[in-house]
Amino acid sequence: MTCRKFQDGGGGQNHYSLPSEYWMDLGYKGGDLGYQTFLYSNETEIRRIFMFLVEKLPKETSQASDEPMGSSILLQRAISTEVATQLSAAWTPPFLKDKGIRSRAKPPGWQREGACCLQHYHSCHIKTPVDVGNLSVKIPKELRAYYNNRMPYVTNQTSRHGDTAPSMMETNALEVATQQDWENEWNQVGLASRLSQQEFKKRKQERLLKLIRERLLQDNQRREKSGGLGAAGDLQQLLNSIESQAGEAAVKTKGSRFANTEKLQYGKDEEKTMSQVGAAVPTKDTEEEQERKRQEEVDGLRSELAQVTSDLERLDLEVRKFTASRQQMEEAISAEQRDSEQKQAAHSVKKRTLDLLPDAEANIGKLQSVVDNSAQRLVNLAKQWENHRGPLIEQYRELRQYNSKRESEAQKKLEEIKQFRERMKEVADDARRKDELQKQLVSEYERMTKDVNRSAYTRKIMEIVSNIKKQKQEIDKILVDTRSVQKEINSLTGKLDRTFTVTDELIFRDAKKDDGVKKAYRFLAALHENFEQLIKMVEDTGAVVREIKDLEDQNFEQLIKMVEDTGAVVREIKDLEDQFHAVMSPVGATSVDGCCLVIGHSHTPLLLVTATTFILR
Amino acid sequence: MELGASVLENISLAGDVAHIPDKLFGKFLMCACQGVLLEKHRDAVADNPAFKDLEKATLKSAYSGLVTLILEAAKHDTTEQSISTLLEECKYTPERIKEFTKIFTAQKSHIQLLLGKIGSSFPHIVDVDWRLDYYMKNNHMEKVNSAVYLISLKTEIPGEADTRDIQFSCSLEQLQDLVGKLRDATKCLEKIAQV
Repeated sequence: MTCRKFQDGGGGQNHYSLPSEYWMDLGYKGGDLGYQTFLYSNETEIRRIFMFLVEKLPKETSQASDEPMGSSILLQRAISTEVATQLSAAWTPPFLKDKGIRSRAKPPGWQREGACCLQHYHSCHIKTPVDVGNLSVKIPKELRAYYNNRMPYVTNQTSRHGDTAPSMMETNALEVATQQDWENEWNQVGLASRLSQQEFKKRKQERLLKLIRERLLQDNQRREKSGGLGAAGDLQQLLNSIESQAGEAAVKTKGSRFANTEKLQYGKDEEKTMSQVGAAVPTKDTEEEQERKRQEEVDGLRSELAQVTSDLERLDLEVRKFTASRQQMEEAISAEQRDSEQKQAAHSVKKRTLDLLPDAEANIGKLQSVVDNSAQRLVNLAKQWENHRGPLIEQYRELRQYNSKRESEAQKKLEEIKQFRERMKEVADDARRKDELQKQLVSEYERMTKDVNRSAYTRKIMEIVSNIKKQKQEIDKILVDTRSVQKEINSLTGKLDRTFTVTDELIFRDAKKDDGVKKAYRFLAALHENFEQLIKMVEDTGAVVREIKDLEDQNFEQLIKMVEDTGAVVREIKDLEDQFHAVMSPVGATSVDGCCLVIGHSHTPLLLVTATTFILR
Repeated sequence: MELGASVLENISLAGDVAHIPDKLFGKFLMCACQGVLLEKHRDAVADNPAFKDLEKATLKSAYSGLVTLILEAAKHDTTEQSISTLLEECKYTPERIKEFTKIFTAQKSHIQLLLGKIGSSFPHIVDVDWRLDYYMKNNHMEKVNSAVYLISLKTEIPGEADTRDIQFSCSLEQLQDLVGKLRDATKCLEKIAQV
């Protein structure tokens, strides 16, 4: 194995670069790719791979841009348009507005400004007749009479009329929220519990009641526990302390344990309490005597306590010993009883056998018949049992099967219901989404400027197109003309050439004979040359004229540019002059010409300043 | 706009011809709008003799349904189209839907003004008085010579009928600073308006 690896590693990387095929299938174009890329990585390759992988990642952003805008964006847009309209309105002094309301022309209506008439959101409980329209529900006569004669209309129920709107809105919101909450709960927990809605509600109510009851009980118990030291205990404590103090000698060991602990705890306070309670106990002895008495008392009590404790321990031990011996005794008795019962049974059997012994044979026969009879009866009973059992078992099986079938059906139905519910939700979501989309599109359509006249644009475009067509035709015509002129020129040139060669030949032939002709030939040559020069000159002129035209065009453009530049320069000069003036003007003569603050308004306390001018001179 | 089941039921009660005849529906709706808007009309249905013969329990239910619908629709600035779809679901006849939208559209802006009244706010600046004083000298200095602005902002406070003044004095620089701040606020608002 190691050897093979070595071979492969040394022999070639083909074996190792197997995954490159998959990469190729995925569309990776970074070259050969194998294990070695990852094992012995270098930066550029890994970068390439990461780039490829990142490109392959699903693009969420592009999807997000396609998705319809939510209602929040619609709301934001509505807010911004409202703010824009309010911003565009001019400032109006408050005394021109009736309770902060001003009318506006575009869009027609009113708007509220300022904060003079704001009132807090305050709602009350609103009552409406229940189930009046539902004929299946029977309303008690008294309730109906109340609905008809006494119950006020909803706008007349709040103590302040201004609270009507908040109360109504809150009532509705409460109902909607409750409904949604219930639906959620029913979908999540209720359906799975396989109860009807009433049952589910009832069970929930019971559970809640139980919970409340337990809580109350626990709380009560806790209170009772702490109550001994609580408010009720205070009086008891005072009474106890008085009692124990008054009859100190008499009660010594009696007093309840509670009282004793109380005494230990509040021993320090006793004196104070006593002085408060009254001077019933006169202080006869001196303090030293009291101290001594107390010491004696304490010693006596301590020894008594020790004695009692030891007594108690001894008695406890004795009790334990007695209990142990009693248990032993009981066990022995029961063993004896069992023994005697066994012996009695054996005795009775033996007695009967002895009774039967004298007439042994007859008795044996009787016994045999009795045994046979009972065996026969047993068989009969078994048969009967079998007869009864068969159909019953079958019935049982059938019923069980039926039951399981029903259960599975119920399960299936439940699943179906769940599916339907999900589908319902999906469809509702879809509908809502589409609604939102539609709303958004409508709003967008409204936002678009509508005065764009399509037909006018089309007509304009058509006109432009036809113009272009006309121009193209003219250009074509001119081109054709040019071509024909060119052709003519060419043919003329050709003709000239031919004529010249013919003439040249003719004259050249004659020139050998005649001197005059020779002269003529020379003239001809000169003429030809001259004309050639002329043509060339004409062509050159044409080129020059063209060049001149080009230059003129360029000139014109530059001129326009120059004019613009001059304008800018002039402006700059003016600015500089202004600044210069400002700097040079005497500083002392400062005066403020005007100052005006204009403050706009909206429902929110935002301030707008549209103009503030300070002119310094 | 979401409405509870009992509200929808009450709205359908209001649309039922058996409970409220066609010729009274407009009057009834008008009463609902007025009852929400004006304190003196809050018991308008009971005072109106036209509704004397109808069963009061149903009338009260229908009335509460209509009031809720009016308030919620005005709150959400619901379009006529969605109102009419809602009413169609409550089994309204087309004539009634038309009548409802006609009356409601006329009253919507009033109800929106009423709803706009609910809320709380800081003191709201609505106006400003100003005066420019020239401060020449005092007992310590012979020559001060600076401008002092006296500004008095008029503010409206929720629940108070009169405006309240906030007075302060400031120098030119301080005023410029204030104006700069106000300009920033304006720009913020304009940015919101541009979205």
